[in-house]
Amino acid sequence: MLLFRGPHWDRGLSTDELQQAIDKVMAWFEGLNKRGKIKGAQPLGGQGRVVSGTDGRFVVDGPFTETKEAVGGYLVLQADSLDDAVEIAQSMPTLRYGISVEVRPILAECPILQRHPELVRRATDRTAEELWVAAAA
Amino acid sequence: MNTSSETTSDYLLLFRGNVWDRGLSPAQIQKVVADWMAWFERLKAEGKCLGGHPLGEEGKVVSGKQGRTVADGPFAESKEAIGGYFYLHVADENEAIEIARQCPGLEYGAVVEVRPVADVCSIKQRAMEYSPGELAGANA
Repeated sequence: MLLFRGPHWDRGLSTDELQQAIDKVMAWFEGLNKRGKIKGAQPLGGQGRVVSGTDGRFVVDGPFTETKEAVGGYLVLQADSLDDAVEIAQSMPTLRYGISVEVRPILAECPILQRHPELVRRATDRTAEELWVAAAA
Repeated sequence: MNTSSETTSDYLLLFRGNVWDRGLSPAQIQKVVADWMAWFERLKAEGKCLGGHPLGEEGKVVSGKQGRTVADGPFAESKEAIGGYFYLHVADENEAIEIARQCPGLEYGAVVEVRPVADVCSIKQRAMEYSPGELAGANA
């Protein structure tokens, strides 16, 4: 998964520069799509909420999408390896305007479990059972 | 001004903080993980979640012209790091928030970011506001 950080890269660009940048991004995207590399991709709206605390009791406006760290969109890649995904991220045309791309492998299983190997077996055994309970509830 | 978020029904939940297991007993961790999976399966069965995955803790951050800087990261063991996501298809933002509030990790410090999935990239939207009609392809 590619997470695009820094959604305000357009600041300070002229209309022409912006047009060129948008054209390049579209062409980049179409190129990847034709090669069958894209499983899904969306921009994210700037408005959002951040939920935290027990039972989600805190709901605040956010995140602050003005920051360079804010996630402005994502792309789920069908890549051969992390290196392949990094190479694709490096070809993203708006890197030169200050965005950064976080490249993360998508897993089938929660990595928290991998940190606790003693749990893996018990959790997989129990999960199916609990799913039935949940489904029946 | 109309914004796409008022009509969109798709939301992304980004789960932040993948260190919620610290200080928990094996039984507690097991319960949270099982609850989380059951929650995911229930939302999928209800048609409210179209997909989701945990993200691996290893990763890279690419930046700079032509992506010349490739750093290890994003230091996934932190309170801010994104540990996984759900793609929701729901009636409105309130329903997305209600679902976010059911996250089993909240009690242990996980934070859920609820973001509308946009139809149009915000850059294009801003570009159209700055100079309506000037940007070819901006409505694409």
